[in-house]
Amino acid sequence: MRGFVRDHGLGLFFAVIFIASLVGQALVGQADFNHLQLRHHDDPISLGRYVLSSDYGSDVLENWQSEYLQFTLFILTTVWLLQRGSPESKELDKAGRESDEDQKLGEHAQADSPRWARLGGWRTAVYSNSLLIVMTAIWLASWGVQSVTGHVAYNAEQFDHQEAAVSWGRYLVTSDFWNRTLQNWQSEFLAVGSMAVLSIYLRQRGSPESKPVGAPHGATGVEG
Amino acid sequence: MLLGALAFAGCGQSDDRATVRTTVERFLAAYEGDQGEPACAALSEDTRTELESQEKRPCPDAVAEVELEGGAVTRVHVTLTNAKVDLASGESVFLSEQSDGWRISALGCKPQGTPATNPFDCELEA
Repeated sequence: MRGFVRDHGLGLFFAVIFIASLVGQALVGQADFNHLQLRHHDDPISLGRYVLSSDYGSDVLENWQSEYLQFTLFILTTVWLLQRGSPESKELDKAGRESDEDQKLGEHAQADSPRWARLGGWRTAVYSNSLLIVMTAIWLASWGVQSVTGHVAYNAEQFDHQEAAVSWGRYLVTSDFWNRTLQNWQSEFLAVGSMAVLSIYLRQRGSPESKPVGAPHGATGVEG
Repeated sequence: MLLGALAFAGCGQSDDRATVRTTVERFLAAYEGDQGEPACAALSEDTRTELESQEKRPCPDAVAEVELEGGAVTRVHVTLTNAKVDLASGESVFLSEQSDGWRISALGCKPQGTPATNPFDCELEA
């Protein structure tokens, strides 16, 4: 047990705080929703009803989709784009998909390489892009769910003010949908950009996200 | 994630749609039959208060003064705790879910301008 926790501590830590923050969001989200309900002279709803509501759903999914877009773009762009001095970048002569030797493919695959990396053909082609494929799929799926839940929540607000509902297609071009989307995107892009640049000059001893403390600012693609 | 979307989108709200439809139909039947008490029972507290404030009379005596064209229910649209019912006359009714059930919050509503961006013009609203 102790060994399991030690070997999987990073994943376990983030799983725990993810669940905790999701629960916390449900509690404060319900309180905020019911505050608005009372302000509109409507009745509050239960926690169980709230976590199945489009309000909670859209608040959760608008954040998920931007996180997975962040990873999708980061994974994709770091194949070709470089940042001198950043540990988030590959070395300056490594732009592109790299050689089979670098990627341990074909005759360079090892006995303990993943099975689909050793098989070749379409399986290796798919596996070679599996991280991007999955991240992109999760991003598009969560963005789609955000649009569905946001559409329902938007129409609830419309009715509350004696306005007509809009179709899902119409909702996709509303300021509400794009405000929710872009407010999340800008923060994700800022975070990744900040990390790529700040890590050129700043250090965190012991973290693989940082260069070694004594590494020069110009050293690119090295990890601590 | 698809199942989550369906849950969040309220695909299990068929019971609410039936209740909303019944609430409006009962109100219209009571209104057309000059039955003030059951008609007022379908209104939200804020809507009744507004009516009594406008007409300076108790709701059961005042509700007949609201000018409605009525008509059969043609469409019911429910989203979480709000609903809109369209009638054959072209009027719409807006409802909100209270602790004691669905209640009418606006009556005799007709679109003005672009309905999605301009509030309906209602004969009575909370």
